[in-house]
Amino acid sequence: MIIQVVAFALIVTMMLGLVRAIKGPKVYDRVLAVNMMGTKTVLLLAVLAFIDDRPDYLDLALAYALINFIGVFAVLEFFRTRESQLVIAETDDTGEASDEAPGNEGGK
Amino acid sequence: MVEILNIFIMLMLVITALAMVSSRHLFVTVMLSGIFSLLIAASFLLLDAADVALTEAAVGAGISTVLFLGALALMDVEETTRGVRRIRMVSLIVVAVTTIFIVHATFYMPAFGDINAPIHQHVAPWYIQHVPIHMDIPNIVTGILGSYRGYDTLGEVFVVFTAGIGVLSILGDPIKNRQHRPAHNRGLRHYLIPRLVGRMLIPFIILFGLYVQFHGEYSPGGGFQAGALVAAAIILYALLEGEDKALQVIPMRVLYIMMASGALLYGGVGVAALLMGGNFLDYSVLASTPVAGQQWGILLIEMGVGLTVTGVLITIFHAFAARSNL
Repeated sequence: MIIQVVAFALIVTMMLGLVRAIKGPKVYDRVLAVNMMGTKTVLLLAVLAFIDDRPDYLDLALAYALINFIGVFAVLEFFRTRESQLVIAETDDTGEASDEAPGNEGGK
Repeated sequence: MVEILNIFIMLMLVITALAMVSSRHLFVTVMLSGIFSLLIAASFLLLDAADVALTEAAVGAGISTVLFLGALALMDVEETTRGVRRIRMVSLIVVAVTTIFIVHATFYMPAFGDINAPIHQHVAPWYIQHVPIHMDIPNIVTGILGSYRGYDTLGEVFVVFTAGIGVLSILGDPIKNRQHRPAHNRGLRHYLIPRLVGRMLIPFIILFGLYVQFHGEYSPGGGFQAGALVAAAIILYALLEGEDKALQVIPMRVLYIMMASGALLYGGVGVAALLMGGNFLDYSVLASTPVAGQQWGILLIEMGVGLTVTGVLITIFHAFAARSNL
């Protein structure tokens, strides 16, 4: 019984995270929301393993727990190399992405 | 209970998909696609498809976000809206008509979880009955993918291999495209906490990848999932220490050999079976007993799959990273 309650509590938390990810408004809100959704998914998968009584499902939760944060590191690195452009995009002033830090931006 | 959870997850999937479509800011779309991947993995697990969920976990959580951001670094983060308004009416009609047809078609489908549905009555009972006899392994999915459907999986490996070659031919050789930037500015090596925690986790990710690779006959997993996990570990190393360090650990030449040798190993097992008197990819003739032969065959082809997937994913990462300085 308590496990079912936990599952529904996790679903509610995921919905709140989803709201934050969609509404934003800042990029950082969304990154944090994605990270939180990842954590909640790990927990939900673990809870499902107990609901279905299938301990091998825990492998999945383990896989998520191990590599969930790699995306966040990529976001960090992305910010570091394109910080100025993202600030421009955040203030909704489209175009004008030319004043980025010199030497930081290679590909464009 | 599980059905109710599934409804909520499906609802969130639809909301996320709509938000992805309506968002004009591509970074937001990438973040939402990460959420979509997490939710769909939970949905797969609710539908009892643990192997698919593990694939989605390994690819969606670790790699696709990194690759999307690598692509995003090469272009504008704003989606251009030019020319969209003109075709909107036509596409609306097409989408509406298709939706009506699909919704109409669902009325003829069997109910969710119906035991008499064709999908549960066609070949599935045969597989469930014969996998323990032919291969003596508990994970029926691995038995089907590795042996009965060996041709399909061979095709998939070659699709992955071709995708790697395609990305390389569009983005070019990562070594030639390298942007030289000062050594102190590479990767996240000045961020102490991510660096320490990440470095601590890399061996465990690789260990878990090897477990998924070689335990695929007994629990969810196999070559695809293991390849994605090991590639995620190397990509994590590249993000933390800088891409050039990762290239020192596994040079491009080794990656090319991994890509090709995996597909070659898979095809080679098929040819070996042919030479030993069986059909192409019929592993029964590989060892003294048919059951042992099947097990050896599945182990070998899963190794081939793992090699190719690891090589291709890391190569694609390097191809993007060399251009975008990610």
